[in-house]
Amino acid sequence: MEEALRQHYPEKEKNEIFNNEFLPHIRSMYNFGYRLTLDQDDAKDLVQDTYLKAYRFIESFQKGTNAKAWLFRILKNSFINDYRKKSKEPSKVDYQEVETYYNSEDVDRQITPDLRVEALKDMIGDEISNALNALDVDFRTVIILCDLEGFKYEEMAKILDIPIGTVRSRLHRARQLLKEKLSEYAKQMGYKNT
Amino acid sequence: MSQLTNPFIQPDGTKPSCMQMLQIILDEEATPEQKEFFAGHMDKCMPCFKTYEVDMTIKEMLRIKCRGDQVSHDLVEQLKNQIKQKIAI
Repeated sequence: MEEALRQHYPEKEKNEIFNNEFLPHIRSMYNFGYRLTLDQDDAKDLVQDTYLKAYRFIESFQKGTNAKAWLFRILKNSFINDYRKKSKEPSKVDYQEVETYYNSEDVDRQITPDLRVEALKDMIGDEISNALNALDVDFRTVIILCDLEGFKYEEMAKILDIPIGTVRSRLHRARQLLKEKLSEYAKQMGYKNT
Repeated sequence: MSQLTNPFIQPDGTKPSCMQMLQIILDEEATPEQKEFFAGHMDKCMPCFKTYEVDMTIKEMLRIKCRGDQVSHDLVEQLKNQIKQKIAI
């Protein structure tokens, strides 16, 4: 459908869009790239590649629409197609299991790590960043999109090419796993978890 | 405390669990009515209150520690220049 909305921008306007609508997101883009690859050079390559693609395909972008979501989508696809294939690390997540679990009644009876706010406030080092980085990349991604970048379900579904229900269940499971990780840190810091 | 109709109830009449309400709040998908209802609900539901506090603290920590704000100005400028050079603008 969006193919039909191809724009024809004069060169000057193309550059204006690029400078005013795309480039302001570069910090978030780099952070996303870094959180996906966990490598600064790979993140730089991903960001450059994303912006080059965005410029090349600028005519499929409609001025004034959600540039940030579009750029995130390009970066995510570049990561999957160009980077993830090379890194020999296929997703280890059994999504069927996640979905079934989320939609079952067990979801409210789960054992939530008894993590306390005081323990979290004592984590002044890299604990939260390490806990996030330790998540499987697909869980990490939804936390980044929702909690760091503030994307809505609908935007995340478009960026990730998955249904909204899957976004919701993946986020739920990601939060749970993040809490488990932080709970381990709290234990190491001497907080009793049970 | 006003007795509000639960705005989380779905059109088919399904009543959401505490966990489902909390997730809508955490994911920032709640309407103002849902937020108001949930704030009142937490006054009566200690497990929800405790989980909400922990989850919101984690969310805040993520924002403070893991967002792109930490990326240095020099790196951003370097990236911008490299990109601009490649597309010649």
